[in-house]
Amino acid sequence: MTEHRCDVAILGAGVNGCSIAYELSKRGKKVILIDKVVLGAGASGSCDDMILLQSKKPGILLEMAFKSLDLFEGLKTELLSDIEFETRGGTILIEDEEHLSIMEEFVASQNRYGLEVEIIDRKRLVELQPLVAEDIIASTYSARDSQVNPMLLMKAFLLGAKQKGLRYISRTTPVAIEQLASGWKLLLDTGDVVEAEVLVNAAGAWANDITKLVDFQVPITPRKGQVIVTEAIPPLGETNVWSAQYIVSKLKPQEAVKTSAGESAPTQTPAERFGLGFAFTGTHNGNYLIGSTRENRGFDKSTDPEAIALLSAQVERFFPVMSKINFIRTFAGLRPSTPDGMPFLGEIPGAPGFFIAAGHEGDGIALSPITGLVMADLVTGKKPIFPMEAFEPGRFGGKAGL
Amino acid sequence: MDKDRAVGDEKYICRCEEVTEAEIREAIKAGARSVVEIKRWTRAGMGICQGRSCRRLVERILADELKLKPEEIELSSFRQPVRPVSIKAMDE
Repeated sequence: MTEHRCDVAILGAGVNGCSIAYELSKRGKKVILIDKVVLGAGASGSCDDMILLQSKKPGILLEMAFKSLDLFEGLKTELLSDIEFETRGGTILIEDEEHLSIMEEFVASQNRYGLEVEIIDRKRLVELQPLVAEDIIASTYSARDSQVNPMLLMKAFLLGAKQKGLRYISRTTPVAIEQLASGWKLLLDTGDVVEAEVLVNAAGAWANDITKLVDFQVPITPRKGQVIVTEAIPPLGETNVWSAQYIVSKLKPQEAVKTSAGESAPTQTPAERFGLGFAFTGTHNGNYLIGSTRENRGFDKSTDPEAIALLSAQVERFFPVMSKINFIRTFAGLRPSTPDGMPFLGEIPGAPGFFIAAGHEGDGIALSPITGLVMADLVTGKKPIFPMEAFEPGRFGGKAGL
Repeated sequence: MDKDRAVGDEKYICRCEEVTEAEIREAIKAGARSVVEIKRWTRAGMGICQGRSCRRLVERILADELKLKPEEIELSSFRQPVRPVSIKAMDE
């Protein structure tokens, strides 16, 4: 049995755990980062590469995404290795007049929040995306939408923190957590013990496995997204692409909830059953990522041919040229989703020094720099630059269900 | 595995993604202990052949660095469709 002591123990080496670890290490804290599996084994390693401002609800999440984007600009040079950060802009394809009017309203509300986004006509869209399907009538366009390689980002956070003394322990998880006179004691399933002044639970979709050990729960449920990876091809166009339908599905989580396994209504189409939305991005290496579904299927991470067929048909519908392209891989990730679409960021009520930073669903990569910053502020007793009320861990009464 | 070769050797292990033996050994030194971690750190095995050429080589480098027998290396995952399939084929 080995006993480790540190200032802060972080559970979960996903993008947010790594970002918090990096920020705290920079501030001179002795940090231990623990993962049940390995770096990026959960949602952070099974997602796409987009930092999409256009999909954020106007409000605090959009403001935090703005700040995150500024932080990425700094991280790009500050971190020791390349994170493939790029700002290519983003376009949301609009198929008909009904979607156009919904998107006009949405864009107006985003403009009021200071996001530079506009509706562009087909002629301008074709300049950005020459191979888009002929019947797409318009699109949104924001020059600020960006992308980053999540794996390289986690690796850079980890190596940067290691340089400042971080210890990373993979393949173990606590089986018991005890409160000490000052701090916390973790008993790991390897028999090792970790004593820390402060704990941070950044375990994403698995966050409840940790909080349960101190009799507290948060309503975080895994939401599955299936994605196709194509062979590397030359760029089709300039921007990353989504469909208006994807935004509608993301902004109205209640619609996706209806698709949970076992309660699908007979009238639902297969696309509705899988919570299908179009997200299409070209990676640095030339592979295209074609997503995605939004499904409630517990912790099942398998991909299935029916969903892959739907995603294939969808990309052919928006970019007919893609029918000639091969795909080489499919994967599914489990996004940590919450009932109100907001992550849990803060101290657990009644457990001083036990923090949680989980539940970002599809915004984890985009919000990781700001999450690292506000959590490091909370842990070190500084007032964060954003009001944290909306993210209170106790806002659902410490229970997993509603 | 030729153990006399120096780290820094420009020998390609994953030809699809052009990952060298030195890069794989570096990932192991930084903490990777399985094929899946090496894949995520270096892209070895993420190319058009999906690791069919390099998986065994990566396993042998892991065994060498970690002083394990090849059969003691954690099994790696396989992702559908294993071989490239056209998008059109899925749609039919």
